[in-house]
Order: sequence, then structure tokens, then C-alpha cells
Amino acid sequence: MGEYKLLLRHSHDPAYATLDGYQRLGGYEGLRKALSMDRQQVIDEVKTSGLRGRGGAGFPAWIKWNGLPKQKTKPHYLICNADEGEPGTFKDKQLMETCPFLVVEGMTIAAYATQADVGYIYIRGEFVDAARSMRRAIDEAYRAGLLGKNILGAGMDFELHIHTGAGSYECGEESALMSSLMGERGMPRLKFPHAPLPTISGLWDSPTLINNVETYACAPFILSNGGAWYASIGASTKNSRGTKIFSVSGHVRKPGNYEVEFGTPLMELLELAGGMKGGALKACVPGGSSVPILDAEACQKAIIGYEEMMEVGSMVGSGGCMFLNEHTDIVEFIWRTSMFYKDESCGKCTPCREGTRWMFLILDRIKAGQGRPEDLQLLEDVCRQIDGRSFCGLGDAAAWPVAGALKVFRHEFEHYVRHGRSLVARG
Amino acid sequence: MSQSPDTPNLRFSAKAVAELESLKTHYPNLKACILPALWIAQREYGGHLPPEAIAEVAHRLKRSPAEVQGVATFYSMYNTGHKPGRHMIEVCTCLTCSVCGAWDVAAYLEQKLGIKMGETTPDGMFTLHGVECLNACDRAPLIQVGDEYHGPMDEQKIDALLERLRNEPESKVVALADALVQVHLKEEEREKARRAAEAVRN
Ligand SMILES: Cc1cc2nc3c(=O)[nH]c(=O)nc-3n(C[C@H](O)[C@H](O)[C@H](O)COP(=O)(O)O)c2cc1C
Ligand code: SF4
Ligand code: FES
Repeated sequence: MGEYKLLLRHSHDPAYATLDGYQRLGGYEGLRKALSMDRQQVIDEVKTSGLRGRGGAGFPAWIKWNGLPKQKTKPHYLICNADEGEPGTFKDKQLMETCPFLVVEGMTIAAYATQADVGYIYIRGEFVDAARSMRRAIDEAYRAGLLGKNILGAGMDFELHIHTGAGSYECGEESALMSSLMGERGMPRLKFPHAPLPTISGLWDSPTLINNVETYACAPFILSNGGAWYASIGASTKNSRGTKIFSVSGHVRKPGNYEVEFGTPLMELLELAGGMKGGALKACVPGGSSVPILDAEACQKAIIGYEEMMEVGSMVGSGGCMFLNEHTDIVEFIWRTSMFYKDESCGKCTPCREGTRWMFLILDRIKAGQGRPEDLQLLEDVCRQIDGRSFCGLGDAAAWPVAGALKVFRHEFEHYVRHGRSLVARG
Repeated sequence: MSQSPDTPNLRFSAKAVAELESLKTHYPNLKACILPALWIAQREYGGHLPPEAIAEVAHRLKRSPAEVQGVATFYSMYNTGHKPGRHMIEVCTCLTCSVCGAWDVAAYLEQKLGIKMGETTPDGMFTLHGVECLNACDRAPLIQVGDEYHGPMDEQKIDALLERLRNEPESKVVALADALVQVHLKEEEREKARRAAEAVRN
């Protein structure tokens, strides 16, 4: 099936990051079309397209777009989640650096559909190049009357700001991101059904739409070509439509972002990335650090799709796809994963704060050759105590990779505990 | 200077004051300006946020210093602790980088600079730091220095980079803070700040 370049089609053309070049290559047709339709029609196109959120959870985009009040009583806000922090993922970075106008146009379309007055792109503080690229694009769009007052003479007003993060993975979680944007510590907030949805009460208690960079970047294509056209891409899958960008890294010859149609076999990503380097394929973490690891056999069967990936025991997630060769010590890899979650836990709730610490400590002693026979059982217990019991998704995301690896690569953990050292000879 | 006892020593330049005034128009309240104002402060105070910097941000945004301090300490990129060296070298040791040689990069840097992760060279030139995924794993093993990403790294590239940084008088920590302030500002807002700085100079 190979690559299906939709969002990234012109990413190698520097002109695409300028307004002139972007418009020459079809840019802003989507917004023009949207402005000629009524708001509900725009939302219906997104519904027809089957677009699901690309930030990790795969929630249908149109439901959120449709969730903001139609009768406006307060300002409406739009947020673009550009905090890309999931280890293994670097697609939002490339989109912002090479296709910034897709994000600006996509957000403007969403602003029209949801009657948003002000938008914020929350970019992680380390992404200076991406932020500069977005800045240039926003400045150009203002100059051309594509942002600000009376956009394209159609009577629509939309202000777009950049807000940068300052080093916190947890701020990618949408409620924590909103706390951070409002000038607080990046702690998550109570969620539906215990609190109203952000589409009703988000930023400053106003209706707020939050989507990922890649999600917004799909909108111009959905509007210019139609939702039905978009839905025809990836139609072989159960419930995944369009394309998905995978950030492929690890032991591969040509690491990078590869955009494929849903329904593509996972092994094609490996082929696109030039195949394995330094040894045969042993394992793959297909969707970012939070998703369960697959062994080589499961990789052979895996089809890229939200449901299809779950059938083999993992997830599409954010699309951070790490291929690992036969010399990889899986125990060490999972130990490093647990270190990440321990470091990034915000500390608000006990299951995650204590659980991520204990998972790390147990894995640390296993790795040091001090593991006890009961440690594997203990790790599984801790995972169960965190999963579904933590205040936000970070806790679950910390438990899944550990629980998954204990299932698929149990023999490696057992070897460590029994012999005090790795099963894997260092390559 | 005659200031009321509650007014901290104010050190923001005219440019910084103009930048902050523009930022205030981006949000419905002053509290939301805390994060961007901390970037301004980190630049104005030379790459570091000592208690006086926190007090100045709090004063300018009409918040309490305790609140601003609480916010600043949550985020790893605000340097509220020890003053970092002129250049901060952040070594990614996260998943992809760790399986692509990050531990060797870290060890080589430690040996070259004669310090451990988290330490600063005695001459105040370099601070070494291990960090979590910088989300450019296609360039593993990756390091970040201020507003620059470098990777994939090897010993030769590290040597060349250190050499360049030794001859770089501008602090990369300050460069990063300034870059992040600038991306918040629209064209005309950056121009306004430039004019404010000029007015003081003349
Ligand atoms: C710990 C944690 C970190 C997250 N980090 C990100 C992130 O960096 N970028 C992102 O778009 N979504 C992230 N998410 C998902 C967001 O909470 C949210 O679902 C997403 O921004 C919604 O956009 P979408 O529907 O377009 O995917 C994270 C979630 C959790 C629990
Ligand atoms: S799950 Fe972790 S990150 Fe989320 S609120 Fe609890 S402690 Fe914080
Ligand atoms: S693991 Fe180092 S940049 Fe992602």
C-alpha cells in the first residue's frame, strides 16, 4: 500500500510554509468552502469524514465540534494541543515546521464551525523551531486578512495566539493543559461526568474545543474535498478513516514520519523506514510509550487501525512507532519507560504518584540483579492498582506498557529475576 | 530609588515591559500571563529565576510571590533552583535515544566536561542535564542546547559543538527564553517592543 501522503504531501517543499506557496498548492480552499456553508454543514462534513482525534485517544472529532453551544452566551475558545510529549512521537513537530498553514487554516475552519473568538496553540517549550514556524505563518495570515477581523470579508473574526509550555509531559493532558494555559501548575481537573465537558465549560469556564495538531491539519482537506472523499481513505478498516502519520524511530535505517492510509499493515511502516538496523526485529511499540509492546509475531499480523490494533493487543495512540532489534533488553526498555512516568507523574493522586514510583523501584532492582521471585506478581498488582483508578490518563498510560511487557516478554523478566542478569547478549 | 517597602526591585528593561503589556492583551486576565512573563523574567535575569525575579513577575501581574513561585517550580524549564551555566546541555536519555546510544553520549559528555549529570563546570560555562523525550526521536541520540536541537550525536559532533559553544558569548539559556518570548508576540507587538528599547537608548 505504501505511503499515502495527504498532510505531508508538500512537506518537503519549503514554499509550502509560505502563504503564497501554500495557496498555490490548494491552501485555503477548505476555509473558503467552509465560509460558503452554514456552520452545521461544516460539522456534518467532519462527521461524514469519520475523523477521529489524532492526539492519542481517537475520539470522534465531530462530536466535540458539535458540542459547543449553538446559542452563544459567552466567548468560545479553541485550543490546539501542540504539546507533543509522548515518547516516540514527532509528527506534530514536523507538521508545524513544514506545514504550518494547515494548522492555521484547520483551526480557522474549526473556529468558524464552533463560533470561537480566540484560539491558542499550546506548543511545548522545547519546540522552538516549530513555534517560530507557526509564528511566521500566523503573522502572514494576519497580514493577508486570513486571521483577525472580518476574515476573507465574510464577517468572521478570529484571534490566534501562541502559548508555550515549560517542560511538563502532563500538560499534554487536556485539562492539565487548560490549567497551564490559565497560569497555573499543570494539574488535571475533574472530568465528565463529575464536571461539565470542556465544550461547555473549559478555558475560563467558557465553551472550549481542544484538538491535536494533526486533527486540525486534516480539516482543510475534509472541507475542500468533502467528508465522503476523506472517508473513502482507509475504508477497509472497521472504524478508522483517512490517513495517520507515524513517527518511526528506533533500530530502523531511515527514521522519520511516514503517513499511511488506515488499513496498512504495520510491517509496511518498517519497510518505509528502510527496514531493521543492527539485527532482526524483536519488538515494536506502535503508538507511543503508553501503548503495550508487540513481539515480532504480533507485528506481522498487526493492521493499522484503531480497532485493528487492539485486536493484536496494542493501540494506534499518538503514532510514535518504535521498532526494536533482537539485541534490545526489553526489561531495560520497560525500566526506562517506568522512569519516564515516575518523573512525569504530577503527584495529584495516590495511585499514580505512589504506583509509578513503586513500579520504577521494583524494575530498578530487577535490572540491578536484585529482583525477587515475587516481584513480577507484585508489578502486576501495582499495574492493576493504577489502571482505571488514577485521576487522569497518565496513570493508565504508565501501567499499560509494564503490564503488556510482562505478558509478552515474561521470560525475559523471569530470566533477570532467576539469574540476576539479562537474557540478551549485548550486541 | 524610593520605592514602597512592598515594591520589589524592578529590573525589567523597557523592552520587557512593552512585551508584557502586549501579552496582557492575549488573555482575559493577568494570571494567565504568568507563564509567558516567567520567560521574560528568565531572560531579563540572565537565565535564572531567583526570588527577586519571582517577586517582580508577581508584582507586575498583581499576584502573590508564593503563587508565582508555586507555578514556576512545577515546570522543569524554569530555572528556579541553582543558577545554571552559560549553556545548558540537555541529553535525551528517553526510550528511542536510550536504545540508540544516549548513555554513551551522556558518558562522553560527562568525561569531556569532568562533571556529572545535574552539575555545572567550575568555570560556569556548562550545565549538564538528562531529560525526557525531546520528541525528535528520528534524530536519536539527541541533545538540546537552548533553542537548538542536535542529533544524531557522536563523539566528533560533540567535540565540534562544545568548541563552538565555548566561543559563544551569548548564553544559550537566555537565547531560549528570548526565543520563547518572541514567538508569543505578533509582528506589530515585536515592533512596539523594539521601539520601546530604542527610546530608552536615545
Ligand atoms: C498524560 C497525557 C498526555 C497527553 N499528551 C498529549 C499531547 O502531547 N498531545 C495531544 O494532542 N494530546 C495529548 N493527550 C491527549 C489529550 O488529553 C486530548 O485527548 C487531545 O488533545 C484531544 O485532541 P484530539 O481529540 O484531536 O486527539 C495526552 C493525554 C494524557 C492523558
Ligand atoms: S494520574 Fe498521575 S498525572 Fe494524572 S492526576 Fe494522578 S498523579 Fe497526576
Ligand atoms: S527519545 Fe530522545 S528525542 Fe525521543
